[in-house]
Amino acid sequence: MAQLVGAFASSHAPLIARDWDILPPEAKQKISSGFSEMRSRIKELCPDLLIMLAPDHWVNFFLDNLPAFCIGLGPEHGGPPEPFLSPKFQYKKIEGHPEFSRHLADTAFESGFDPSLSYNVNLDHGFCIPLWKLGLDPLPTVIPIFVNELEQPMPSIKRCFDWGRMIRSAIVNYPEDLKVAVIGSGGLSHSIGEPTMGKIDERFDQDCIALFSKANEPEIIEKLVKNLPTVGNGSEEIRSWIIAHAAMNGEGFKLIDYAPISEVYVGCGWAEWKVA
Amino acid sequence: MTDYWLSKMMFDLQKSGDVSSWRADREPFLEQYPISEEMKQAVRDDNLAAIAPHVNAYLLRFYCGICGMGDKEFTERLRKINTPERH
Repeated sequence: MAQLVGAFASSHAPLIARDWDILPPEAKQKISSGFSEMRSRIKELCPDLLIMLAPDHWVNFFLDNLPAFCIGLGPEHGGPPEPFLSPKFQYKKIEGHPEFSRHLADTAFESGFDPSLSYNVNLDHGFCIPLWKLGLDPLPTVIPIFVNELEQPMPSIKRCFDWGRMIRSAIVNYPEDLKVAVIGSGGLSHSIGEPTMGKIDERFDQDCIALFSKANEPEIIEKLVKNLPTVGNGSEEIRSWIIAHAAMNGEGFKLIDYAPISEVYVGCGWAEWKVA
Repeated sequence: MTDYWLSKMMFDLQKSGDVSSWRADREPFLEQYPISEEMKQAVRDDNLAAIAPHVNAYLLRFYCGICGMGDKEFTERLRKINTPERH
């Protein structure tokens, strides 16, 4: 049987790649140590498969067809198209897991979800900044799940909890031996292309960290529904963290690190959910 | 309200990466889409206050990058405008 070995979350600010060579040393150190610690913990778990959650930043989808959730089913996924990341990205190939992703899709439909499916996706910085900075060698197979976190209306926080639980159910019911880790990519607070661009809301970020630690689902939902409209559009990516949290039944949250890094416009967070 | 065709033009520009042609002459691009004359003029004038309420904020950032606007100028110009609530 497959085993859910752990879940993780990290930020994916594109300026981590675009401006890496000119970032202040303290910022680079914080970012490097966050990903380095996350890498160590993932390596200890030896996952065969990473189920990753991130938004699509207008690479695969547009307003003519904008899925709330899309599962990448292909045997292989395209790497980052962004010119600031593509030359730095170390993997020639990002292999998928067609058997598990089909099982995941079947589980989703049997569970009352109607996700979009794609056999051909390109993974932008939302997926590839964490993959690049984690530098796992070898890279496990990856199943990307795109979550609409960019354009209103978005899947509700409650729906993201349910989606995370569905992922857990798919993993524990998969008949083959497989170690699976979940990685939520995005957040914490940031504001992009809005009048508040560059603003980091540390209070919101610390509240989120406290909420994940406390793990009271109704409280998380209530506070996020109330606060998300006021803390910057990038903060909507907290959905990726919610899904990772729910996949772990809301248990075992441990913050790896948090740093509001103004140079990359993002309240950067790294976290792990440990199996009890 | 979202302006689909204005957004589509920005999305296509981002996809094609045809920055030099766009910067040299915007008119051939504008002619390809049924964008209202008001919005076309806003594009010609780089009128962010008029454009911002009608396109996704991330697309706007990509678009302003294509226009040659750095983050500093982009942010300063954004702060001078008042956009409606996101929700």
